Amino acid sequence: MQIVVAGLSHKTAELALREKFALLARSEVARKIKAAQVSDAVFLSTCNRFEIYACGFSNGADGPDVLLRFFEDLIGKNSSKEDLYLYSGSEAVAHLLKVASGLDSLVVGETEILGQVKESYEWAKNEGLTGKIGNILFQRALYVGKKVRSETGISVGQTSVASVAVELAQSIFGNLSESSVLVLGAGQMAEIMIRHLATQKAPKILISNRTRERAEALARNFKAAVLPWENRGEALQEVDIVLSSTGSPEPVVTKEMVEKSLKNRRGRSLFMVDIAMPRDIEEEIHSLEHVYLYRLEDLEHIVAKNLEGRAAEISKAKEIIESKTGEISEWLKALKEGREVSFKHSSRPKMPRTESARK
Amino acid sequence: MSPELMLTKATLAAYLGAVTLSFVYLAYKDEKWNRWMLNLLGVGIALHLAAFGFRIHSFWQIPENRYFLPINTFFGALSYLALAVCGAFFVIESRHRLGILGAFVLPWASLSLGIAVCAASPEISGLAPALQSYWINIHPMVLMTSYAAFGNAFGVGVALLVQEHQIKSRKPIALCYRLPSIEELDNLNYRIIVMAFPILTIGIIMGGVWAENAWGRFWGWDPKETWALITALVYAGYLHMRYMMGLRGKKAVYVSMLGFACVVFTFAGVNFLSELHGYLSKG
Repeated sequence: MQIVVAGLSHKTAELALREKFALLARSEVARKIKAAQVSDAVFLSTCNRFEIYACGFSNGADGPDVLLRFFEDLIGKNSSKEDLYLYSGSEAVAHLLKVASGLDSLVVGETEILGQVKESYEWAKNEGLTGKIGNILFQRALYVGKKVRSETGISVGQTSVASVAVELAQSIFGNLSESSVLVLGAGQMAEIMIRHLATQKAPKILISNRTRERAEALARNFKAAVLPWENRGEALQEVDIVLSSTGSPEPVVTKEMVEKSLKNRRGRSLFMVDIAMPRDIEEEIHSLEHVYLYRLEDLEHIVAKNLEGRAAEISKAKEIIESKTGEISEWLKALKEGREVSFKHSSRPKMPRTESARK
Repeated sequence: MSPELMLTKATLAAYLGAVTLSFVYLAYKDEKWNRWMLNLLGVGIALHLAAFGFRIHSFWQIPENRYFLPINTFFGALSYLALAVCGAFFVIESRHRLGILGAFVLPWASLSLGIAVCAASPEISGLAPALQSYWINIHPMVLMTSYAAFGNAFGVGVALLVQEHQIKSRKPIALCYRLPSIEELDNLNYRIIVMAFPILTIGIIMGGVWAENAWGRFWGWDPKETWALITALVYAGYLHMRYMMGLRGKKAVYVSMLGFACVVFTFAGVNFLSELHGYLSKG
């Protein structure tokens, strides 16, 4: 009845190998789990990890050994033992809590993994793969994942350039549902930024590019409008946010252009983001009143600070995980001895507020 | 110690507690601090109302004071002002969910009540005959209500300066994401002033009418009158510059802060200049 986990992640295996696992069909894996006579199992498959948690093995079978062979069986003998990790007992419990809390993630504290754990567990439950222990273990893990995020700063602060830019825009304008955006350039960075803004329901996005066709192609994907390149100066009077990422060797927004537009803006703030190399927007513009110009390195600096802040919270998160691992291990022990105990009821932790919850 | 003074001190303790919690909430992103701050502020306001009730009760023990409000002394006026600032904050914050601004507004209320408790005499005296008019229930109350609103606008203005500085620095700290946005603070500052300005104007005109009745002249360039007029002109200037010239952000806040400095001087400083309006004089 021992809990065992076997798996591989971005920390142990190369991308090529992880991809092979990520491509495995869920139903196929489930079928094989049943065929291997493993019960009470959940497997988690994301682009960064593939792992199987199980605690029911046929009589006399050695759990870790069964899972190792199972991995070989899944993709042939492509993986070596070094690519895998294997934990059992309370170590396996601790590992699951770490994963659910985002401590084992590429970006510490990221919240997506919690949803993935939840979804994987629910899928396994619906397939009839899980039993009593697995159910309780995963429900506890989801609880701990939320608790760690709400009680520590492990998920605080945006960790990508685009999301930091959106958060800053919110600190200037509040809700972006009334803000208009001018996007200069139609490359990959422009697309990433627009995608982030689109989640904030900015009502008006104008795309302007020297090659109009590319602007049109991008605009089609996001219900945006295309602005002729020459008109970008006049558009500065209207918009709230300017994102620039062209490949131009010369600045495409000059101080003169912005100064002229300010006369008709009646003091409304203008947020400008320049993520082009070399620069698209003249640096002196930042000194103008009501104008806030952030360059790529400013945004990267904030990202780095946020990651540092998250890292500083890791020890706090580990403390919670350690104590919760202890609780779960106690519960398992009691279960083995035939005693029925329940977890202390603690108040339901709330998920940390994300930018979408901001007013 | 009279029940009134005891309740007032308890009120001050509650306000100071709320101020402390508002700073904790500013530093730690946890809604529970906000809830506790608002609860404690609610308790403070209730205690304050009770204290005010006791003050009215003892004030009315003197027959000629009957049915007039006890704001003829520094103590009464400062205490009422603190109550109005907290009340206005309570109303504005609950409507806009801006508990985070507590740290910028509530200290002023505590300061006002703190000065009343520490430096002003809580004693009650009979109203001077000139003040025995129903106008004393209206004219100063209306003005102090506008002062309380201006006090809230001042707090919002401070928050705006902090937020603007954060974003301009390109190295915003976590506080930046906790405060309302620049545009929201700017709008709120403006909306409070737009609301308070007519109240101030009406209060001043009422004063003129009362002066006409009591002293036989509408306006006499008494220092209090002069400074009230200057205050109104500064805020009128703020509104004008905003409407006509699109003055916003930092500079607009500076003008509104100048207005608030005039409010403070009109309320407190002028007492040492004015014979007619002094809380210290007998009217």
